[in-house]
Amino acid sequence: MVAVTYVLLFISLYFEVFLLVSFLERQLSKKTVTPPGSQTFPTVAVVVPCYNEEKGIAGTLNSLLALDYPKDKLEILVVDDGSSDKTLELAREFSTDARIRVFSKENGGKHTAMNYALAHTDAELIGCLDADSTVEPHALRHIAAVFENPRVSAVTPGIHAKETKNLLQHMQKVEYRLSIFNRFMLSALGSAFITPGPFSIFRASVIRELGGWKHGHSTEDMEMALRMQMAGHLIANCPSATVYTSTPPTFRKLFKQRVRWTYGFLRNAADYRHMVGSRRYGNLGLFILPTALLSIVTAIYFFVRIMMEFAQQSFDEYTRISVTRSLPFPHFDIFYFNTSAMWVLVWLAVGLVLVLISAGSFIGTGSKKVPAGTPLFMLFYCFLVPLWLATALFRATFKLGVRWR
Amino acid sequence: MMDPAINERTARWRTYLVALAITALIFATAFYASNYFNQRRVEDIRTAQDDISTDILNIETQFDLLQEHSCSDVSANAVLPSSLSSLGSQLSYMEAQGGNAPEVTRLKSLYSLMEIKDYLLMKQISQNCSLKPIFVLYFYSNKGDCADCQKQGYVLTALAQKYPQLRIYSFDYNLNVSALQTLIGIDNVKNDLPALLINGKAYYGLQMIPDIEKILPQLATMKAASSTATSTK
Repeated sequence: MVAVTYVLLFISLYFEVFLLVSFLERQLSKKTVTPPGSQTFPTVAVVVPCYNEEKGIAGTLNSLLALDYPKDKLEILVVDDGSSDKTLELAREFSTDARIRVFSKENGGKHTAMNYALAHTDAELIGCLDADSTVEPHALRHIAAVFENPRVSAVTPGIHAKETKNLLQHMQKVEYRLSIFNRFMLSALGSAFITPGPFSIFRASVIRELGGWKHGHSTEDMEMALRMQMAGHLIANCPSATVYTSTPPTFRKLFKQRVRWTYGFLRNAADYRHMVGSRRYGNLGLFILPTALLSIVTAIYFFVRIMMEFAQQSFDEYTRISVTRSLPFPHFDIFYFNTSAMWVLVWLAVGLVLVLISAGSFIGTGSKKVPAGTPLFMLFYCFLVPLWLATALFRATFKLGVRWR
Repeated sequence: MMDPAINERTARWRTYLVALAITALIFATAFYASNYFNQRRVEDIRTAQDDISTDILNIETQFDLLQEHSCSDVSANAVLPSSLSSLGSQLSYMEAQGGNAPEVTRLKSLYSLMEIKDYLLMKQISQNCSLKPIFVLYFYSNKGDCADCQKQGYVLTALAQKYPQLRIYSFDYNLNVSALQTLIGIDNVKNDLPALLINGKAYYGLQMIPDIEKILPQLATMKAASSTATSTK
């Protein structure tokens, strides 16, 4: 048991250190990029697939119309996927703008909406913006510049949490900063295995060549990225292309969303298992995918261990109170502060996570300052994550499926 | 904000090796730090034991010179029961942590000897000075063969808090210390733990606070005296 704990701790720490070392190496190498002034503007189709999105559709379309991009090079395709609310009605109000085209089809899932749009456009680049997300005006211009590298087939943006109102959303904001770092580094290692729904842009020719989007166990963005990696395409990340996406306001909604994401990752990883551990896929096959899979087991393992220890301590305390019939007398003595090697390592790992959050903030905002919700995130979020990881692992093992909503 | 990240997925072995070296260094540091802190704790215990040992020697010497000193001088300098119990708690914690086991066992043996020494000395002093301290000798096992030992430990800790003058000595029944084994032999304490030796009589099985208070009715007087002393301060 102790050996397993140390092995898992070592791998977790190694992963964090590896990403940090790669980040520092990249910083020191100082690569040159195309100056924004000299860029060309390829034609772009931004697809807004929507199913019952009456709350967010207007905000999403307004932000797209505000994009700083030549009007004749941009088209916005709203694909209503059989909504039963006023989504279609609201979208049609925007069709007075020449850039917006609104389509309606029977409900078939996000991948079918994307393929529908792909069939109705001849733009060079095609991307998606979920109807719960908004973009900054410069986002598309920044992403389009990355496509001047002919080897790039997809570009992911820097995704930030939108409107953090409650504590749960504040914690998610921190998580998104961490994701900014991870997404950036995975692209820097040529190992991105997700092209997220909010504003990932693709070369339309590559998508056609690969056969369009698939259901991908309700995570078509993950399936597409893995298929692109398998075919040897480059997926870049442009953190300065700022996108804001809604975060679930309740634990129930967050839990459902994350179970879907993790379930999709596990099932897609199983579908593309030949990539896991394969040298042919470089960092992705040798290190990133195996570690990402192992991290799920690690998180569940540590959660179970901590819970067991907590249960044992609670039981001991209960026993103490029941036999002495008196409440514990609180006292603090530094002598009893746990300084076992395991705890020292846990504290170091926590410290490294803080560094990664700061690095994510720096990459995404230019400031190393971590979000205000960071202490909450560090204290509580680690106890929430294993809940959906374990549920997703269970559902994926028995192929029970997941639903979008 | 940062420039875009674009790269081939080719593995760079140098990065893997550098990360491995750093992670190994972090691990080594963690183990070194943990060992250092454990060593510091052992040092703390050793210092506390030295202090208590000196105290015992001091009382012993005073006792030998009793003819020239009053009993009040001796009892005023007696080793406080709380010092011994605090040391016992620290040793139990170190034992549970599992680090530096041989050193901790050595310290525990020394602690047991000090307890026996204190017990014998306090018995002699109380006889000669007409004091009436109450002694409780507690025998336990932490080999996993004593289901109620943890509970008995809780009860005695609570009892010591309730009656600070009570002198409770706890002994690991299985500890290989000849003086302890002699004590067990003299008082004929059976390996039926937890066991309490009160006024020369052994009580086996879990004894709750009311049970002990029933065995030792003088505890009530002790508490009353303590309350009076506190209220007159």
